[in-house]
Amino acid sequence: MAWFTDRHCFLLAVLIYGLSTVYSVFLWRKGFRRDEWLNYCLLAGGVAIHTLAMTKRGLTLHSCPVNNLYEATTFLLWALGLASLVYSLLPRLKFLSAFTAPVLFTIGVFALMPALDPPLGPKPEFSGAVRSLHAATILQSYGAFGLAAVAAGMFLMQRHDLKAHKLRALLSLLPSIQRLEFVTFRLVLVGFSLLTIGLIAGSQLPRPAGDNYFNDPKVVWSALLWFAYLESLVAYKFFGRASRRFAIGVIILFAFLLLTFWITNLFSAMHQQ
Amino acid sequence: MSVIVIGLSHRSAPVELRERFAFSSDKIPNALEAMRSAGLTTEGVVLSTCNRVEIYAVTPLAPAEAFAKMRQFLINHHAYDGALGDELYTFAEPESLHHLFKVASGLDSMVIGETEIFGQLKQAYDLAFTHKQTGARLNKAFQRAFNVAKHIRTATNIQRGSVSVMSAAVELAEKIFASLAEHEVLVIGAGETSEKTARALLSRGACGVVVTNRSPERAAALAAELGGRSVPFEQWPDEFEKIDIAVSSTSAPHHILDRATLEPLMRRRKHRPLLLIDIAVPRDIAPDVSKLDHVYLYNVDDLKAIADEYLKLRHEELDRCNAIIAEKVAALLEANKFAMAGRP
Repeated sequence: MAWFTDRHCFLLAVLIYGLSTVYSVFLWRKGFRRDEWLNYCLLAGGVAIHTLAMTKRGLTLHSCPVNNLYEATTFLLWALGLASLVYSLLPRLKFLSAFTAPVLFTIGVFALMPALDPPLGPKPEFSGAVRSLHAATILQSYGAFGLAAVAAGMFLMQRHDLKAHKLRALLSLLPSIQRLEFVTFRLVLVGFSLLTIGLIAGSQLPRPAGDNYFNDPKVVWSALLWFAYLESLVAYKFFGRASRRFAIGVIILFAFLLLTFWITNLFSAMHQQ
Repeated sequence: MSVIVIGLSHRSAPVELRERFAFSSDKIPNALEAMRSAGLTTEGVVLSTCNRVEIYAVTPLAPAEAFAKMRQFLINHHAYDGALGDELYTFAEPESLHHLFKVASGLDSMVIGETEIFGQLKQAYDLAFTHKQTGARLNKAFQRAFNVAKHIRTATNIQRGSVSVMSAAVELAEKIFASLAEHEVLVIGAGETSEKTARALLSRGACGVVVTNRSPERAAALAAELGGRSVPFEQWPDEFEKIDIAVSSTSAPHHILDRATLEPLMRRRKHRPLLLIDIAVPRDIAPDVSKLDHVYLYNVDDLKAIADEYLKLRHEELDRCNAIIAEKVAALLEANKFAMAGRP
């Protein structure tokens, strides 16, 4: 079984996420009416194999597998999938997995591009613990932001159906819009806290002499992201930003995160080490 | 001996006839005893509701003879002297069991899938059982009917959704708010439908009710009845800061709430969602308020459309329910045949 590498495992997980995506489309077409566990089981199967893929890579490296874009992406997806599985256990959020599966599948396919997973160079010379904490918390925060975007999507769909007097709003087994709004806010808050911890941990890492943090595009990008989420939270909580605008903002921010994460990583000398 | 049914319902007879043949519950045991003494039945249950009067019985007579004699018994018992044609229907096995299962499951009700009939049938059976008017055949048939009704309720969508304006309003509220326990209801205009809607919301956990009406006495009376408070009609907009659901049913000839009035009130509400239920005709609330963020406006036609859609969905489930019933009736008849064969 030596030929069956962690990348094969991840490929299998992505295929299962794909199956779950197809089934999610079916559930969506049916208006989320049935109390359906099949999709949850599919996603759980995908996350289990995904966990195995990460464990295999971690055991090979003897550290948290977050050394290149492929590993960072798989870690992000894993955090998103796991959080989705946990939240889907809540009776009113059981369809969260149906909204998460397409995100996992599309980003998963992207992560499988060989260019994102170059052979590892020499091991970084600094402490592994803080580095792992930095990478893990930041990627978990991205997972939380992703889940928040999924909940925000559910909120916008339910809100639209209720406003447009569509029967689907009543027939679907989706939660109330107030609950979805609450979940979105909480997830953004969790993501923001993790991002803060991750950035603080990152600032403790040694850097080459003479290097300034704010010359690095990834650091500037992370700081921008941090401020954008902070603005979103403060405007919503203290300045009465409308729920719809807040939800759209959460989706846009996550889309921005996904689209620019790779680019900043490629241009960051600090994160190429 | 077989189970038979004789009766009339909303499908076969007008209310004037149904009320002539209705049994008050205190007279049912005597009526059952009279049928048994006359040799018409060995077991019997009388179901008498506003929509149906039916006798379920086990008879030693041939079905045709039993139907004729029981029809005469009903006419005599109620001293009915009018004409009686097809209004009185009869069923022998297996149709009688099929009918019993359908009635228990709400498939023969005026509103398909309603659950009230289940309780009424259970009461009718309990009354007969308590007075020792049932035996092995009816006990088994009724127990099966109750089980089938429960099975149909869980296995199909026959009881899903709101089929009245009031329950549709409650369902909407539950899709907007996480829990009704933290939300107060404002009733504008003390009409019957708004009162029923407010009662339905309160029964699902709404934390309080505020009533306003052009007649302050009527507002106070309804508020007292609902356990809420009343406010003068001129002051109801001030309540919008506190309430989250408003039910309006005044007889005003024009809109009493429009976008210009609501917009500043929404700012004071700090963008909390607001459910507006307008059941007045002509409408009390200008339709363009629904364009405001956080405002969910439903008028009586919207609610009626929801109720009708649900009813349509229930009708679509009928085939599935009938298939379940056919299967269960066949199983019961098979079990009866087996029990009869086992007797010495």
